[in-house]
Amino acid sequence: MTTTKAHGPTAKMDIRGVSKTFDTRAGAVHALDRCDLAIREGEFVVVVGPSGCGKSTLMMIAAGLEAPSTGQILVDGKPAGPAGPQRTVVFQRFALFPSETVAQNIAFGLRVAGVDRAERARRVTEQLEFMRLSQFRDAYPHELSGGMQQRVAIARALVVRPEILLMDEPFGALDAQTRTVLQEEVARLSREMNYTVMFITHSVEEAVYLGDRVVVMSSRPGRIKKEIAIPRDAGWRRLDIEEASSEPGFIELKREIWALIRTEIVRQ
Amino acid sequence: MTTIAAPMASRPRRAPLSPPLVYGAAAIAFLLVLWFAATAIPGVVSNKVLPSPFDVVERFATLAADTFSGSTLFGHAAASLTRWLIGVTVAVGLGVPLGVLLAWLPPLRPAVTPVFELFRYIPPFAWVPIAVLWYGASTTTQAMIVFIAAFPACVINTQLGVAQVDSILLRAAKTLGAGAATTLSRVVLPVAAPAIFTGIRIAFSNGWMALVGAELVVGKQGLGFLISQGQINDSVSTILVGMITIGALGALIDVVLQRVQRLLLPWKSATTRPVA
Ligand SMILES: Nc1ncnc2c1ncn2[C@@H]1O[C@H](COP(=O)(O)OP(=O)(O)O)[C@@H](O)[C@H]1O
Ligand SMILES: [Mg+2]
Repeated sequence: MTTTKAHGPTAKMDIRGVSKTFDTRAGAVHALDRCDLAIREGEFVVVVGPSGCGKSTLMMIAAGLEAPSTGQILVDGKPAGPAGPQRTVVFQRFALFPSETVAQNIAFGLRVAGVDRAERARRVTEQLEFMRLSQFRDAYPHELSGGMQQRVAIARALVVRPEILLMDEPFGALDAQTRTVLQEEVARLSREMNYTVMFITHSVEEAVYLGDRVVVMSSRPGRIKKEIAIPRDAGWRRLDIEEASSEPGFIELKREIWALIRTEIVRQ
Repeated sequence: MTTIAAPMASRPRRAPLSPPLVYGAAAIAFLLVLWFAATAIPGVVSNKVLPSPFDVVERFATLAADTFSGSTLFGHAAASLTRWLIGVTVAVGLGVPLGVLLAWLPPLRPAVTPVFELFRYIPPFAWVPIAVLWYGASTTTQAMIVFIAAFPACVINTQLGVAQVDSILLRAAKTLGAGAATTLSRVVLPVAAPAIFTGIRIAFSNGWMALVGAELVVGKQGLGFLISQGQINDSVSTILVGMITIGALGALIDVVLQRVQRLLLPWKSATTRPVA
């Protein structure tokens, strides 16, 4: 039952031939060049690459928030259509609604979808517990630390039960300790719930720790340069990141991926 | 995990008089003493030029009890407040939606902005003659002047507030399935609310000041009218009572509005400073 081939009917989300050119006053910016990436159901795909290579652009297109210049996004083999709760996004800058409490933020997508009050309350409570946020349910975002805010953003994105969770450098704005805790939290979450995730990071360590597969992008215009499968049986996500990152296999992969990125940065 | 501020458990109790309040009160007391000294020490200023604070208090009591130029002090104040309220209500009711539309539908901007900018630089008082010809010396005339003075601040601040809403919030709302109406009511308007309040605050004070000015030249009632009558009757103490009442009511309006803002926006304790 293991599928090694990413492309084909088993892809949950299929990014096909996506290019993107921005027309700016300074001229055309060619951000993405014919990117192909297929993500299987339950797979955790991490995209790394030099900054400015088009990672966020690719994710915004995958989310339906930005239109590709060429190519298309398929979900379960069908054109994905406009942005919606089928593909929710966790942004680097949290993007919580400042006028709403933690519970209201999390309930946002459920309310929009017309989920009835009782069911909404039940699912919000469950999500609060799952993300260890129960005691903050009535706090406003500005009363929370960055790490807590990002937990809320993750909860808000998960509670609507998306087909795919898109995370754009979600821990990039957090301090190192908070980041470690949340990395382990996401590892737990993907272990327990088996979400389909597309995750962007500039941390190679984070990529190797969390990913089932790491996709390295070239410098701008961004192309998919290489895909590296993380051995399933390594089980690094079961360890904490400190332990995992000292395993020989982990170190080797990290070095390999770093070398790929480094050549891209130098090429720029 | 890093520390977080505990969510507010209960309403904060009223704090003892804060230093700013004490300083403010002291400064006002100091001014009063200065004023009194100036009038009490012979030869500094004549009572004809500047009556003593006690004369003004006495005049206040008289004006509050007896009719002067058609009404008691309260009658004049009520007339001014009514005109003001009508004018600012219309200004906020039209100005805030227009500001939202201008920010939300950029194509409207090039059409509306030039017209708006042209009208904005016609001072409210320049409208007095035409308003009088249209509506006579009526409440409508005065309310129209208030409206003209109050409207631009509502539009501009609302437009700015809505335009400044971080687009990442709009994207987040979209991925959670929200349409335009939900995004507007649950994300854009709450986030823009402090700026909208700032606009309303400026509108309130602009409207109040323009009204008093208009009452100096038109009408038979109101606080502006009262001080113009003080001038005609050669009564400096009447003028001072009128001026102090105008200032106090203006300040009171602002305090009430700030209270309302704090009640309506519990998530935003700090108010943005108005740019007048
Ligand atoms: N809306 C936009 N308009 C113009 N250029 C853009 C826009 N968004 C991104 N870009 C450009 O596209 C390139 C890729 O950006 P981005 O996807 O944010 O990179 P990354 O996330 O990998 O750092 C950058 O050069 C950036 O300046
Ligand atoms: Mg980015």
